[in-house]
This record gives sequence, C-alpha cells and structure tokens, in this order.
Amino acid sequence: MRQYGLAVWIIIVWVTISILGPFLATESHTIQLQVILNGPDMHNWFGYDDLGRSVFHRLLAGSLTSCIVAFTVIAISVTFGTILGTISAYLGGVVDLIVVRLIDIFLAFPGILLAIALAGILGPGIDNVVIALSVVGWVGFARLARAQTLSLKHREHVVAARALGTRKRIIILRHLIPLISAPLLIEATFGIAAVIIAEAGLSFLGLGVQAPDASWGSMIRDGARYMLVAPHLVIIPGAALMIVVLSVNLLGDRLRDRLDVKTDNMEQD
Amino acid sequence: MGRLYYLFLIFIFLLLSGCSDPGSQSIRFALASTPISLDPRYATDATSSRINRLLYQRLVDFDGQFKMQPAVANWHKISEKHYRFKLNASRGYFADGKRLSASDVQATYSYILDPDNASPHRGSIQLIDRIVLIDSLTVDFYLKKPDPLFPGYLVIGIVPQQVAVRKQSLNKKPKGSGGFDFIAWPDASRLVLQRKTDKQQIEFVYVHDATVRALKLMRGEVDLLQNDLPRELVHYLGSKKEISLHHLAGNNFTYIGFNVSDPVLNNPTIRKAVAHAINRPALVKYLLGGKTRLANALLVPEHWAGLKNAKAYDYDPELARSLLQSQGYNRNKPLILEYKTSSDPFRIRIATIIQQQLNEVGIKVRLKSFDWGTFYGDIKNGRFQMYSLSWVGIKNPDIFRYVFHSQSIPPQGANRGRYVNQKVDGLIERAETSADVASRSQYYRDLQKQLLHDLPYIPLWYEEHFVASRNNISGYRLAADGNYDGLFMAVKKYR
Amino acid sequence: MLRLLITRLLSTAVVVLGVVCLVFLLIHLVPGDPVDVMLGENAQMADRQALREALGLNQPIGNQLLTYIGNLFKGDLGQSLHSRTPVSSMLLERIPATVELALVSLLVACLIAFPLGIIAALNRGKAWDKTAMGVSLLGVSVPNFLLGPVLILLFSISLGWLPVSGKDGLASMVLPAITLGTALAAVLSRMVRSTLLEVLHEDYIRTARAKGLSHIRVVIFHALPNAMLPIITLLGLQLGVLLGGAVITETVFSWPGIGKLTIDAIMKRDYPVVQACVLLISITYVVVNVFTDIVYGWIDPRVRLGDRS
Repeated sequence: MRQYGLAVWIIIVWVTISILGPFLATESHTIQLQVILNGPDMHNWFGYDDLGRSVFHRLLAGSLTSCIVAFTVIAISVTFGTILGTISAYLGGVVDLIVVRLIDIFLAFPGILLAIALAGILGPGIDNVVIALSVVGWVGFARLARAQTLSLKHREHVVAARALGTRKRIIILRHLIPLISAPLLIEATFGIAAVIIAEAGLSFLGLGVQAPDASWGSMIRDGARYMLVAPHLVIIPGAALMIVVLSVNLLGDRLRDRLDVKTDNMEQD
Repeated sequence: MGRLYYLFLIFIFLLLSGCSDPGSQSIRFALASTPISLDPRYATDATSSRINRLLYQRLVDFDGQFKMQPAVANWHKISEKHYRFKLNASRGYFADGKRLSASDVQATYSYILDPDNASPHRGSIQLIDRIVLIDSLTVDFYLKKPDPLFPGYLVIGIVPQQVAVRKQSLNKKPKGSGGFDFIAWPDASRLVLQRKTDKQQIEFVYVHDATVRALKLMRGEVDLLQNDLPRELVHYLGSKKEISLHHLAGNNFTYIGFNVSDPVLNNPTIRKAVAHAINRPALVKYLLGGKTRLANALLVPEHWAGLKNAKAYDYDPELARSLLQSQGYNRNKPLILEYKTSSDPFRIRIATIIQQQLNEVGIKVRLKSFDWGTFYGDIKNGRFQMYSLSWVGIKNPDIFRYVFHSQSIPPQGANRGRYVNQKVDGLIERAETSADVASRSQYYRDLQKQLLHDLPYIPLWYEEHFVASRNNISGYRLAADGNYDGLFMAVKKYR
Repeated sequence: MLRLLITRLLSTAVVVLGVVCLVFLLIHLVPGDPVDVMLGENAQMADRQALREALGLNQPIGNQLLTYIGNLFKGDLGQSLHSRTPVSSMLLERIPATVELALVSLLVACLIAFPLGIIAALNRGKAWDKTAMGVSLLGVSVPNFLLGPVLILLFSISLGWLPVSGKDGLASMVLPAITLGTALAAVLSRMVRSTLLEVLHEDYIRTARAKGLSHIRVVIFHALPNAMLPIITLLGLQLGVLLGGAVITETVFSWPGIGKLTIDAIMKRDYPVVQACVLLISITYVVVNVFTDIVYGWIDPRVRLGDRS
C-alpha cells in the first residue's frame, strides 16, 4: 500500500465521502439568498454559489454523482466487454469477424462524441448518462479482452483443457479470464478516471444532471457564468475533479508498473 | 538571427492586435440574442422587433401613457367600422429613393392578411375586412366588427409595395423607410445599420455569453449593452469608472402561468396557496435590478387601463400551508407540481428559488427545463402544470382577449392555461364595444381585479431595464419596453 | 502491398456502412414521437404530417435506411428543423473554423509533446523523466472544460491579454488551441517517449553511439527520424482526440465550428443537424485513420516491399 501513497488515500477519501454523501451533504439544495456568490471566508471555506447554496455541500453531492456513475459504467462496460471479447476471440470465425467490425464501428466515433449524441438524444438525466457512457465504454474492454485472449488461446494449459474435453464455458471462465484480469484491472482503473471526466463533461454541456442536482461538471458550467465576480465557483469543483482524476490515473500508472504488463504486442490506445 | 527576432515580434504584435479596436467610429451595441428576421411581417422575437423599429416605419405608435398616437399616418374614424389613414410628413424614403406611400401600406397589410403567407401577425389584424386605396397618401380600412382599439393594431413595419406583391423575403435584407439604413449583415454576429440623419453607423454585435459581453464593454470592444446580465455582473460593471449605468422601471410583465384545466390546479385555493408561498420581495431584492417593481396585474398601474392599488398576495407561508391543508394536503400527502422553464439560465435560477420557496410550505416541485422550441410547444399544447414567462412590450389592452378569453386557446390565441370564465369573457367583450375611454378602462380594471382573484397567472414583477455604456456615449435613453429607439439620439464622442 | 490496401479499404467500407447505420438509428432513439419533439414551436397537424413524410418516418425502417444512404450519396443531408436551411451548407460554413482550430492545436500539441517526450526519453528513470511524465499525467487529468475556463480566468479576465471567446482575429485562437492542444500533448508526449525508447534500443543507435556521437545528436538525428514513423501514425489516430475534444472546447470558447454546431443542434433538438455532424466527424476520423495507415504502409519500406514475413 505504501508505494501507492497519496493517490490511494485520496481515492479512499473520495469513495468514503461519496458513500456518506447523502448524510453529510444535507444542505446541497438549501438556498440562502443573502449569501449569493459569497466567496470563501473563515466560516465557510468554500463559499456559496449563485443561489446561496453551500459549495461545500454541493461538492459532496457532486462527488456522489461522479462516484456512482463511474463505478456503474465501468462495472457494466467491463462485464459486457470482457464476456464479448473473450468469447469472440475464443470462438473465432464469423463470430469474431462480426465482433471485430462492431468494435471498429464503435471506435470510429472519436472520444465521447457518440456518448454526447446519445445523451443528447435520449434526453437529460443521470440514468441516460450511464446508458450513453456504457454504450461507448464496453468497446475498449472488449478489444483488450479479445487481444489478450487471442494471445492466450494457444497456451499449453488451454490446449490441455481442450484436449481433455472441458466445456468452452469452463475454459473461458476458469482458464482465460483470470489470466487477463490484470490488464483489465488496469484498463478499468484508467476507465474510471475517463468516466469521471466524461460524466462531468456531459453535465458541463447540460446533458447530465439537471437542476437543482449537483455534479462537478454542471457546477463548473454554472460557475463559469460568474467568473468575473466569483471565480471560486469554477476553481473549487475544478480542483476537486482534478485531484480525484489525477489520483485515479496515478493509481492506474502504479498498477501498470507493478503488474508489469507487457502491452507492446497490442495496439496503442 | 536578428531578422527572425523582429519577425517574431511583428507576429506577436499582429496576434495581439486582433483584440480590441477602441478607435472604431461606429457605435457598437452588444446583443444577447441574434435577430431572427428583419422582415416585420414575420418577426416576433423581441430583438428582431426592436431592430425593425429602427429600419421600418409604422402607421401607429404608442406614447408614454400607452395611448395610441400617429406615427407616419394620422387617422380619423369615419364610422365604427371604417377608418381613414392619411400619411403625414414624417413618412420616409426607402433605399431606392421612393417615398413611403399609401400603396405600400395597403400592400403590406394585405400581404399579412393573406392566410397563404402564414404571417404570425395575421391574428392581430384579422378584424380587417378590406383595405381600400384612396389616393397616394390615403388608405381606408374597413373592419368586420367595431373595435375602438383598432388603430393600435397597425404597428407593423411597412414594407415596399414591390416586395409585398412579389412575395420577396426581407428576412436577411430588410427594405424599410425608417430612420436607419441597412448596410450589411455578413454573419449572425454583426449587423450594421446607418443613421440617416448623420450617417452614424450602428453595429449590432451578437455576444451570447454574458461574461464576454461585460468584458467586451469593459475593454471598449463594444460601447453599449442593454439588459440580459445577471445582477451581480451589473454591479460589477457599475463599479468600473469608464462605464455608466442607467436604470429605468419597465413594463415587461413576468408571471407564472397555471394550466387551469389541470385536475390539481383547477382548484383556486391551490393557486392561492402557491401565490402566498412565493416570496416575491426577496426575489426582487436579491436577483433583480433596483428598479424592478412588484406586479399585480398584466398592465402597469400608469397605463390608462391599468389597475392601481390592487390587493397583492403577500408572502405568507403560514397561510399557504393552511390553505393546502384545507384541501387535504399535508406532509404525508404533499402536493406535487411540475414547473417547466426554458433553458435560459436566469429563468432556471428564478425557478429553482421558487421551487425552494414552495418546498418550504410543503409543495414538492419538479423542475424541468427544455430548449425553447420544446418548451414553447409544450406550453402551447397545454402539456404543463406551471411555467414562467414574460409579456414584452404590451401596449394595447387587446392582450386580454388574446390571453384570457375562452376562445383564445392555442392555436387561436395565447390562452395557454385553458382559462375559461364567462364573467371575464363578458368584461372583455364589453370593453371592446364600449364607446368612451372612461368606461372602457373601468371594464379593464374590473377584468384585472377578477384575474387577480382567479389567478390563472400569478403576477410576479415588471422587470427593470438598464443600459451600461462607455463614458464616451451620450444621449441614449432607455424606453420602458426595452426597445432600442435610444439609438436615434445616441452620440459617440472621440478623444 | 496491394492486397493489404484492398483488404483495408474493404474493411473500412464495412465500418463506414456501420457508422452510417448507427447514425441513422440515432433519430429513432428519441423517446416519444420524434416529430413532436422536433417541431416544437410551429407544430400544427398539417406540419406534423408533412414533417413525418419529409423525414420518411411513415415508411418501414428498411426503406428509411435505404433512402438515408441514397441521400447521402447525393450529398443531401437534410434540412435543419430550426432554420430550414440545408444541413450541408451549414456544415460547409462551419468546417473551416474547426479545421483551423485543429491544425493550430496540433501544432501546439507537437510543440509541447516533442520536447517533453524527448527529455523524458533522454533521462529515462531519472528526475526529468518523472517530471515530464507527471506533467503529462496532469494534462490527461485536467479536462478541457476545466482548463478552458481556468485559462480564461487567468489570461482574459485577470490579465486581459487575450479575448474570452468567439472567433475574432488571431488572438482569439490562442486559448482554444492551447486547451485542445494540451489534451493531445499529454497523450502524445507519452507516445513520443515510449517510441523513442524503443528506437533507442536498436542496433544502429548503438553503432552511432559507438562511433562517438554525443547522446543528444544521436537522439535527435538518428533516433527521432526513425521514431517519426510510428509517431505520425499515432498522430493520425489521435486526430480522434482532437475531433472529440473539439466539441467541448468549441463550446467553452464559443468557437463557431462543427463541434459547437453539434452541441447547439442537440440543445435545439435539431436532429438532422446532429446526425450530419456526428456522421461528418466520425467519417473524417475513419478516413484519416485509413489514410495514415496507407501512407505509413507506403513509406515504411518494411511494409511496402515485403509481405514476406
């Protein structure tokens, strides 16, 4: 644990306050007109927003949003993507061809463009964000799982299992997936960071959470309107976002170094 | 190496000089929304209408007391259904040199009356039966039924006869006889007009973002901006010494509209409870400009048909709670309402505060914001429980028929709340047919009192107007309905 | 080589077809009746019917798809619901702005990423390497909708050096290009570093070093040119980062390009425009990828001359 250092602690704090969030962030919707746009001071370290709501409480509420969305989307993406990728690589043939094309098609949409379009079309709301990001997210895991499985397919223990007549399902579950779990874990970690940013981005565009719920992305967008007079509204949620994402990325980096994953054979992401 | 260095410096200089241009001779007026159409036969949005006032002339206008007055024509009533308009000396010239004449007037209004042309203004003048050209300066209007407010409907900009006859579109290339010539509209962000009297150029610069608009003003990239800034930014601008601020009480009416046909909101007690639950003074104090006034009726009190000394719905959360309880709502069974707004951030801000205020008396409000098209469509089709909007530039009491008469449910009119009250219908009709101003205004006053009692709308406030200008701009006067007529007299001084 | 070309083109064609189908499907994902949602302001019974027919929504879905594809070949991307202008002309109007921004951002990205990557590769494992890669990690962790406003806060509002937003002369391109460029630079610098490191292990490098050339000369004149090839390929792939990031960056800076058009159209529920924009961006990405692949295949003699491996 020690070698991961600060990054992990930040993530632990983040997850904890997200879980405790609903109990702590009691005032995220409480409007106090007389303190509109008040900056940070001795009593309230984070100040108030354009409706006089406590930035601190909204920050906590937003933390919960990003946490839930991130873990949900990654869970769905990893599950679906891994299963599809492994099966496709193992079975080969037409199935593999179709899946590869499918992956290519989804990968043809750069960045979160498809997620933006989907979220825009499905309508605002956090559930649509989860759907949109999951639809886009499974692809990376499918590709990774497939590539890994392809290289493992001809390993001796797999060949042996097949010779013994083990069912395909058991081979995949028992012999393949555990071996590819390391790179998947790393990809998932970076994936969490990416989803946090994506959710914030969608909320920033107005496609995620709706007023009066809080998300770091929508806080930044609303805050940007008052940058001239209340810069803390952009800086504080921005700093929170950056710190959490940086920590997750650092964790991913360290994991990659530690698990010594060789990705030279695979295409660069 | 030396030459490279100088080149580098020049490059940086060129880069940075792309910024501001304080020496520009034109008066640059920042707009929060871009005009949609410079064709007065089709323009309905506030920005387009205000700019069209500069480009086109109209037959009739309104004075400070909201009474009709001649603009480019004088009229007299030959009979109740027959009016004669004679063009006066203030009629101007179109860009091709021809002077505004009666045939232009007839062509314009005939065009609008023709249902095939789908003009949104047709509804306001459909009581015209026919238009007869008498001579080059005189035109007669025959009405289907008498209406003492009639001349007040003829405020639409007049287009040249050729244009109307040939069915040309003036959306992007206006042709008017007004005090300003159209120079250019190269893209959505820049519209250039030229004042006829002294060739002063006015440039309308579209800047969507409020912060950018304020910054541009501070840096001298624009000279004037009017309204559409959050109060905090207005204060901020006011604190800058190179900028002057002026405020004026306005008559644009902001309200909350109810869908009276909704099973929950059909109950007048519920509507009263909502009215008492809203803390309007706090909203005005913290969110709106200093000259904003609380409203209790659609027309401002100083209007000739305005209601003075109306009994307001005070902020009384206790009363609101007891009213709700009397209707069977309590903590276990709270009232749930859906509040729709457009995506305008200011409206969302107000709505969020109202949501909170209603929450305090036990009403759970679901806030839904939509893009304008969807929002407006929902409102017109009655797919709402409550919403908030403003009526801009209301002069003529014909608005009451348009909004509250039982026959004005969309698409016939703007009775979006589906409000039906025979007493109100009767008052509207009696006002329309009464001969003298005194009884007419009394009917309108009684009408507004009844509306205040029934609450199809909760009147909120009359928004103020403000203009922020650089110190070298003088002579720009605000108008109570927020138009840009001040540009007729604005002057830019140079150092 | 020719066989490679043909297979690649064929698979690309399949992908393009898939993209077109997916984009076509978007309009059918609209909850509720898409026509109702789209018409909003001017909806009357007649209009609704007309729009439904115009969009072909009363046809079976197979026919609709074929019509859509047919129209695409004719260059007909439909009409904007909001302004009634042809979508293709709207796109043409906005493309130059995005292209300008993309190119300048690419320049910024290279200016940042190459030095950073080279320094990291030169000082592998040491402090400079960690710093450079730390900076790169920071770049990945700060999204452009955060960096943009912060840059605005600093350079436009506090210092007043640069315009806040809009496209208004050369100076207005600086902040958007930096915002978009740094996102790319973060990823690019890692690639430069890792590609350089790979190349540095090659024999010819050892030879150069053995000849007595200084480390820096070796890196810049011997390693870098050989590393350029994979880097250029990766650049082509990373165009996607630029295109995807442009959507948010253009929104932050009100830059009148395709990205902003997409968002505006989504906000206005102008679905034909949304479809067209998404299609344009994705197809561009696919085409650039294929192009880069082919060019790389052609330039790299190992690929051009022999499939003999």
